[in-house]
Amino acid sequence: MGWFSSPRDEWAALSGIERSVSGGLAVVSVLLLLAVVGGVVTPAYFVFLLGLGGMYALLSLGLNAQWGFTGLINFSVAAFFGIGAYGAALMTGRTSPIGLDVVPVVGLVVALLLAAVVAVLIGLPTLRLRADYLAIASLGLAEVVRLLALNQENWTNGSAGVRGIPQFFAGWPVLDGLPSALPGFRVELVPGSPFFLETPFYTAFLNLVVIGAFLAASYAVLRRAHRAPWGRLLRTIRADEDLAEALGKDTYRYKMQAFVLGSLVMALAGVFYAHLNRFVAPGTLDPITTFYVWVAVMLGGSGSNRGALLGGFVIVAIREGTRFVDGFGAVPIGPGPLRLLAIGVLIILVMRFRPQGVLPPQRELIWPGTVDETPTTPDAGVREARGGGDE
Amino acid sequence: MADQTDGFDPSRRELLRYGAIAGLAGLAGCSQTDGGDGGDGGDGGDESPTGDDTPTDDGGTEGDGGDGDGGSGPYRIGMIDSLTGSLSSFGERNQRGKDLALSHVNEVGLDGRELAIQVEDSESENQGGVTAAQNLVNQAGVPFIIGAVGSGVSLAIYESVVQDTDVVQLSQNSTGLGLTDFPGLLRMSPSGRTQALALSNIIAEDGYDEVAVTYVNNNYGQSLADSFTSNWDGSIAYESPHDQEQQSYSSLISQMANSDADAWVFIAYQAGFTTMVNEIYESGYEAQLYGADSVRADSVLENTPEGSMNGMKIVTPSAPVEQENYQQFASAFQEEYDREPTSWAAYAYDCVVVAALSILAADEFTGSALNDVVRDVTRPEGEQVTSFEAAAEILQDGGSPSDVDYQGVSGPIDFDENGDPSGFLQVLEVQDHSYEGIDFIAG
Amino acid sequence: MPPLDFLASPLLGYLAEGLVYSSIVVLGGIGLSLVYSIGGFANFAHGDTMTVGAYAAFVTFGVVGTLGGGVLGLPLGFFVALLAGAAAAGVVAVVTEYVVYRPMDTDRIGLLITSIGVAFVYRALVQWRFGTDPRQYAVETLRPIDALVPYGIRITVHDVAIVFSAAVLVTGLHLLLQYTDFGRKMRAMADNPDLARVSGIRTGRIRLWTWIIGAGLAGAGGVFLGLYNQLTPRMGFTVLLVVFAAVILGGIGSVYGAMLGGLVIGMAKQLMPALTQLGDLLPVLPAGFGIPIGIEYADAVAFLIMVLVLILRPAGIAGEAE
Repeated sequence: MGWFSSPRDEWAALSGIERSVSGGLAVVSVLLLLAVVGGVVTPAYFVFLLGLGGMYALLSLGLNAQWGFTGLINFSVAAFFGIGAYGAALMTGRTSPIGLDVVPVVGLVVALLLAAVVAVLIGLPTLRLRADYLAIASLGLAEVVRLLALNQENWTNGSAGVRGIPQFFAGWPVLDGLPSALPGFRVELVPGSPFFLETPFYTAFLNLVVIGAFLAASYAVLRRAHRAPWGRLLRTIRADEDLAEALGKDTYRYKMQAFVLGSLVMALAGVFYAHLNRFVAPGTLDPITTFYVWVAVMLGGSGSNRGALLGGFVIVAIREGTRFVDGFGAVPIGPGPLRLLAIGVLIILVMRFRPQGVLPPQRELIWPGTVDETPTTPDAGVREARGGGDE
Repeated sequence: MADQTDGFDPSRRELLRYGAIAGLAGLAGCSQTDGGDGGDGGDGGDESPTGDDTPTDDGGTEGDGGDGDGGSGPYRIGMIDSLTGSLSSFGERNQRGKDLALSHVNEVGLDGRELAIQVEDSESENQGGVTAAQNLVNQAGVPFIIGAVGSGVSLAIYESVVQDTDVVQLSQNSTGLGLTDFPGLLRMSPSGRTQALALSNIIAEDGYDEVAVTYVNNNYGQSLADSFTSNWDGSIAYESPHDQEQQSYSSLISQMANSDADAWVFIAYQAGFTTMVNEIYESGYEAQLYGADSVRADSVLENTPEGSMNGMKIVTPSAPVEQENYQQFASAFQEEYDREPTSWAAYAYDCVVVAALSILAADEFTGSALNDVVRDVTRPEGEQVTSFEAAAEILQDGGSPSDVDYQGVSGPIDFDENGDPSGFLQVLEVQDHSYEGIDFIAG
Repeated sequence: MPPLDFLASPLLGYLAEGLVYSSIVVLGGIGLSLVYSIGGFANFAHGDTMTVGAYAAFVTFGVVGTLGGGVLGLPLGFFVALLAGAAAAGVVAVVTEYVVYRPMDTDRIGLLITSIGVAFVYRALVQWRFGTDPRQYAVETLRPIDALVPYGIRITVHDVAIVFSAAVLVTGLHLLLQYTDFGRKMRAMADNPDLARVSGIRTGRIRLWTWIIGAGLAGAGGVFLGLYNQLTPRMGFTVLLVVFAAVILGGIGSVYGAMLGGLVIGMAKQLMPALTQLGDLLPVLPAGFGIPIGIEYADAVAFLIMVLVLILRPAGIAGEAE
């Protein structure tokens, strides 16, 4: 079994919605590739958007570990995103009040440690609460973190933020100067519409490599965890916490583990953000990020890692897509309220008509070795087996 | 079994349909957007390549050169503005000024070509600004960006996108002090430092030696407050930041009242300041009020009672209102929009004119060439002109950039080595519940 | 220290401000708790329901005018507008319940997420129609009540009107719940919906009226918030977190808990300036002593108080343990 040995069987084994999504993705990819090749979309901008999509996908993965796996309604996503960003920024930024000057990898480690600590601090009082209380409490504590970042100038520079954050590969032997050192290419596949592969493209590409690595690592870790007994226990907690307790499990401990794990992934996205933007300010901790990531997870498919990834990219498409609508003079509504309205209506529609999201978890929860293929509708119905007609 | 999927078995046709819709949505997100501008629309001079094989109007001349243009289309620059978000009212004013400038510039023309401005929304946020800048610099490939509103956003754009490129960035509304540290980042609104200095001088002249200060908790407020407190010789009885959009500022006001300072300084935006003024009035407090430019707005006058701000002095960066070109600008503005212009509209106006002059003066339409001339067209060397038409005449007659000294409607401009304009301030006093100019201060 | 000195301290002023602010939070909180106990989910659109009520009253007031007369500094027309605002909020909530929530086949959490979408829709529509510039009701801004100023209390008769109206509404609700048939049925439904239905109570009708009352109270709260401060499209959203904190602290689902919670949180926020002056205000403590937390942390302190209460009583003060 496997995509390479028997692709036809693999395709047949996919469910209907999986086929639609795969097909849709394939078509979109082809169209975008054509756009880049045709010079309509510049490679640098395209790769930048991919990186941004990857960032939201990473955030969604983190939230999925908390909500999708364990059923924790965590509204403090923005706080951990911000902690990751500030951790990296305060360690490496030029205007950081801490005044160190370390390699970004050290900043990454510090950011993750900080996120873990804060996750425990937030989790301690809130994880024992029931779901809707957890939501408000986590939102409130996220606001506390934001207010601290905004007002404690001696820690964070307050509203001025931290500037002068280097690229992620600063200080690395080869990669540091690579974007400026590489030669530029001018490619003209479609006559009259050239596209350029120059420094901005290489920089964006390196950033894409970073977020891609983060995504791959997180996805691998989470997938493995999800399929392991630990993951099964979390799913039990999500489905029926009393049952898990009745089975003698210390649900609080497992919830805390899931919470911290998810927060680490979110902080990772924050670290990427710091090195992408090279400037971090308290606005990074605005709760609107939390709501966007929630929409991404609900849209993509709660409980599913693939769904979370899909949701992340879709949310970036929507956010940047509504930018495009500004150009429509015909629409009488201003861009601000339009974006808000669109997102609100989207949430309502998704929850109404497909609350499990586009790609809810299916076979991905099962170790490949345990089941050979998805259970299929049998070729012969019972009546037929007894000698009746066909379906 | 069949229920395990959702009873969904798409035919190839459906697959294509979904894919196409998704693809269009994705493509929509990536492609160029067109904000409102004056010089584009249906004419064939648009130089953006289409997806098919027909060559553009340029007749296939060199066609390359990175940021270079092809010959006869409009000169396209970018603008990042706060069309939505907390600073959207400033964005609105900017757009009015920019539209007026665009029409004036295109009346004269740039060597027979027009100026086109692609406007992107920063959403009043750093992230929005950076994405907008990425779009303009890496996708649309403009060599000149007017942006943004809000010091924090302008800095983010500069450090994240513009700094490593040749693109010229000229912010229309950023008064935070941080921009002075970046000579490559130009701005049309003077640094808040001049305002802070002026405020502290005025308060001292009025005979107060103790003040209570409150500032909005963002880059603008904090840097202005820092500048004020370092310049202030007397004592600071009370200093506190405040957040925007609070339901009540009564705690703040009562603390200011309890501080025994008789001079209260407000660095706040209009909505919050309106609440504060009403709170002061309803609590029966009396104090001499002072404010930075952000507290001044007609909406504040409308929403506060008579006598609530009597005698309040506000320092605002200003156009030289007695100057003829400002008056012409004001009357043209009044004709077009049926209201008086604000300084923010004036800044945006000047940004567009300066950009246009740079294009005329530069050797080619690239970032580095524009960078070389943009400061010179406003510096004191050269003949003083007060309109785009007059300046264009000099340049088109073969003049060099230093032969021109454009005096803007917002002030003499005169970019210094840090990219800051020379500040021209006006002191306003609230008399009979309206703003009256009482003094001018040259930066 | 002679007692008169204590009275002249700012403390009474803070308490008075706290009372006014709490009134608004209480009105929002009761509605939220009502909807939770009968509707079954935490309604994130509640803040924006307040916004809807406030703007509806704004429009009504503009149409109706002052109509002369008035009490406590507010013309008759304002009270008409108040009723209109509450009614409009109620109608919008009921329509949303029928169009959005009722047809949905999802659990409490799904409804919570949906209500976030509904909140965005309310806000977007208000912003579309009215723009982002702040508005004010066309009532005069008043001076403080002279008789109270020597005591350090600087409130206007409008503030008194807010407290008074909130008290009237809360008392009315209390009477409704305790002494009327309808109220009895509401309480039964909140306790045990299945039993209530089985014992013949028309739960559908009760549910409908609960939505109307809950949203109506929110609308009234919004009108008073607009009077207290000003009208912006985000006004309800910015107060939502505070309202939630109050309701959770009091125990979600409990109307009386919401009242208590609203009082506690509202007071806490307005008493913040006292922290740095504790020594001066309380004769018990040494002069000059103060807890150095600035007023910019008011929201943070409110949330931390909520979390603290939750640690000690996970269901809130008056909430039922799950």
